[in-house]
Amino acid sequence: MAVTDEREAFQSPWWDVSRIPLHLFVVGVVLLIIPLIANDFIVRQIFSYAFILGTIALSLMFLAGYGNMVSLVQMTVAGVAAYMTAIFGTSAIDTISLGWPWWVAVPLAIIVATIFGTLSGALAVRTEGIYTIMITLAIAAAMFYLVRQNYTLFNGFSGLNQVNAPVFWGVNWRDPAPFYYLSLLIAALAYGLVRYVSRAPFGLALQGVRDNARRMAALGFNVTAHRIAAYAFASFIAGTAGVLLVWLNGQVSPGTIAVGPAIDILIIAVVGGISHPIGPFLGAILYVLLRTFALDVLVSLGLSGERFQLLIGLGFLAVVFFSSDGLLGLWSRFRERARRDPVTGERREE
Amino acid sequence: MVRYAERHPILTAIWVLAAAVLLWAIFAPWPAGLEDVMGRKKIFLNALFNGVTLGALYFLVASGFTLIFGLMKNVNLAHGSLYMLGGYIGYETANATGWWLLSFVAAFLVVAVLGILLQVVVFRRMEGQDLKQTLVTIGISIVIADLMLWIWGGDFYTILTPSWLTGPVELPLITGVSRRTGEFIYLKYPIVRLVILVAAIAIGIAMWLALNRTRIGMLVRAGVDDRDMLSATGVRIQRVFILVFAFGAGLAGIAGVIGGTFQSVAPGEDLRFLLASLVVVIVGGMGSIPGAALGALLIGLAEQFGSVYAPTYAVVLTFLIMVLVLAFRPQGLIAAGR
Amino acid sequence: MAETVASRLSATGTANALELRGVSRFFGALAALQDITMTVAPGERRAVLGSNGAGKTTLFNCITGDFPPTAGSIRLFGEDVTEFPPYERIRRGLRRTYQISLLFTGLSVEDNVYLACRGVSRGRFSLLRPRRDDALVTTARDLIEAVHLTPARETLVANLSYGQQRQLEIALALAGAPRFILFDEPAAGLSPTERRELIEILTSLPDHIGYMIIEHDMDVALRVAEKVTMMHNGKIFKEGLPQEIEEDEEVQQLYLGGGHGGH
Repeated sequence: MAVTDEREAFQSPWWDVSRIPLHLFVVGVVLLIIPLIANDFIVRQIFSYAFILGTIALSLMFLAGYGNMVSLVQMTVAGVAAYMTAIFGTSAIDTISLGWPWWVAVPLAIIVATIFGTLSGALAVRTEGIYTIMITLAIAAAMFYLVRQNYTLFNGFSGLNQVNAPVFWGVNWRDPAPFYYLSLLIAALAYGLVRYVSRAPFGLALQGVRDNARRMAALGFNVTAHRIAAYAFASFIAGTAGVLLVWLNGQVSPGTIAVGPAIDILIIAVVGGISHPIGPFLGAILYVLLRTFALDVLVSLGLSGERFQLLIGLGFLAVVFFSSDGLLGLWSRFRERARRDPVTGERREE
Repeated sequence: MVRYAERHPILTAIWVLAAAVLLWAIFAPWPAGLEDVMGRKKIFLNALFNGVTLGALYFLVASGFTLIFGLMKNVNLAHGSLYMLGGYIGYETANATGWWLLSFVAAFLVVAVLGILLQVVVFRRMEGQDLKQTLVTIGISIVIADLMLWIWGGDFYTILTPSWLTGPVELPLITGVSRRTGEFIYLKYPIVRLVILVAAIAIGIAMWLALNRTRIGMLVRAGVDDRDMLSATGVRIQRVFILVFAFGAGLAGIAGVIGGTFQSVAPGEDLRFLLASLVVVIVGGMGSIPGAALGALLIGLAEQFGSVYAPTYAVVLTFLIMVLVLAFRPQGLIAAGR
Repeated sequence: MAETVASRLSATGTANALELRGVSRFFGALAALQDITMTVAPGERRAVLGSNGAGKTTLFNCITGDFPPTAGSIRLFGEDVTEFPPYERIRRGLRRTYQISLLFTGLSVEDNVYLACRGVSRGRFSLLRPRRDDALVTTARDLIEAVHLTPARETLVANLSYGQQRQLEIALALAGAPRFILFDEPAAGLSPTERRELIEILTSLPDHIGYMIIEHDMDVALRVAEKVTMMHNGKIFKEGLPQEIEEDEEVQQLYLGGGHGGH
């Protein structure tokens, strides 16, 4: 679970474009011109959606990959931000929505989501290891049932609809292309932030906690505080993505934060790989593609399109079984093998 | 107990008082003033009984979960799916043979065999990798859920109660006084629920005895306390694992039949009972059977009383119990071993 | 140096680096430590001897707070730290090494030492990366140099040799401004050459740094310690100067006679 070293950061200033490796440069250019070549459906429902899911999964990757805390509450944190955007801002349910301008509603929504995620984390870190997954799952489910049963604040089963991205700087951010660039920007910022922080004292210490919590305490670190702070950091990222999510869908309902989507985020992160922040985005692209096109594939195989879950489940099992680190693990194994002499390269993965 | 009373005289007095109030509330007819505040006594008694019987059901599901977790440190997130599969198997058996009791046997066996398969084919290969095991159980639960949806569709199935268990029975508990005749009215309660409650208590006691009085139980308990020590003593721990997994899964299967009789089997129930197990185990203490019993009782009561007296916040009440326990006793009310 | 430390300490009214009063630790019914009372002066170097299961490592765990003691009190430089979490004790100048290497295997040597330096300074939660000329980075590199690990600075700890991991353990204990260090069998498993190097590192520590060392090898222990505490069955059995302990008949019977190969 080694974190890729990024010592270059020490060597040259960040604004030096020539420092960007070629493959990153190509990926960047392709991502920038996608709205020019793809149709609206692909831009919105594939790419924008994947960026948002990837960012939420990134927050899980941060906790799981660097902190060994597998939190199932990240989708709920995003959902809280989504609900709060609708409640503080505008929606069709004007008895609930306060109608505040977006530049008030959005920061408030992210703050509330961050507080919610931090409190959840504070509960989850009361116990260690695998218990985290149980506690966060219970929190996610409790929140789901709460929003479904509560009509005064969350409008119960039907949730809040007509929550639209705002219009400012002369741009209607609801349109596919502007929204695409907005979600790309947020995803890229979140990705960069996680990469940067992974080498900062906070991130390093978190990885220390992951490797050996007891030893971290013996070095003067308050392990519990560090874990809770990690939840706060991850919740901030998930909350930001949650705002985009409600703008993309135009609505938020209990289904958004049901246990299914919460587990989907885990699947995305694990299938992509949790050792590097790029993993969740790979997982998200794959998930969205599958979700969109699996129907056709299943029908052509003579199965009903409803069997999508089966496909996801089996695919997930296969990845967990055959690769310790999702697509990233497969990729690095492939590279290792390609680099090695096929005859003498005996050393295998531990 | 005497020593506890000596050490905490005030707390003991509060406990005794609370128990007395509860007993009075259960057995005595309520004065009109109390009924104005709390609603009719019948509602209270029904909530109490429903809570206790629901707790019994939760206990059956959660005890298997906690046993598997305690021994193998395997958070089996497919436990809810095992429960639901038991429900469907029970329904099919009862439907085909018309024999209610047989459905328990069938559900236990089928689900236990599935449990053995899971342990032998899947989990044995990834021993000590907590996270990987848990991820695999998530994948398995998704697959099982979809397969069951494929076979049984989205309909609600209710397992028919045999004729000798249908209908209510009158309990010697007063719900009120008849205005017309002035006689006491007694609580009528479905007999099948009482039978299930008794059965759950019997299973619980049998399990406790098996764990505390038999050699295999000692091995399991020793394994919960210290797995490495147990394997170091030369016990064939894999066999103990398989046995416990089979038993825990089988219990979930039995619980599925009970749930299918009590309520119904339908997609989504797997998740509901998985979550109930999680909360029960977190509240009661992970890996502890008495903990599961206490947790199940608390959660069952909280859910029923919550849905009667504060319908919108019933879930919040359950959740609040979990939060309080995590905040003040993160190891659970009754912690296992150590 | 020693005088200035002594005067500073007397100015703050502190007499002892470490002071245990009636410390006991039970695991269930098993008493791992029973009524331990001992004092260690500032700058003093103390060896703790005893066979396996005598309670030496448990004693360390109680002092650092890894396991809180069941009874008794612990004072560190005059301050009662019995109820303190481990990190608070560490921030007061206590350090320790572990018998089994407890290192951050997923991080490089430099990151390990950097974390150790960061743990006892400010900015533990800093979201900003250290600059290249960050004082702590420099300190970390100096420490790595001091334990002869500079060639392996960028290596992941998981890929270090056993001896290198032991050296890194010591570097972590020396990070920050340690005042009192607990060494838990630092020489275990080392080659004779590595052992000599270790003795050299220990004896050349600045005077104001006191330590307590658990060591099975009597020769090493007697060479690096000024005073010796013998433990047996969770209790203090003898305390004295190295020669006294070495010549004590009871000790010879108990320890040198039978307990040497019991590893």
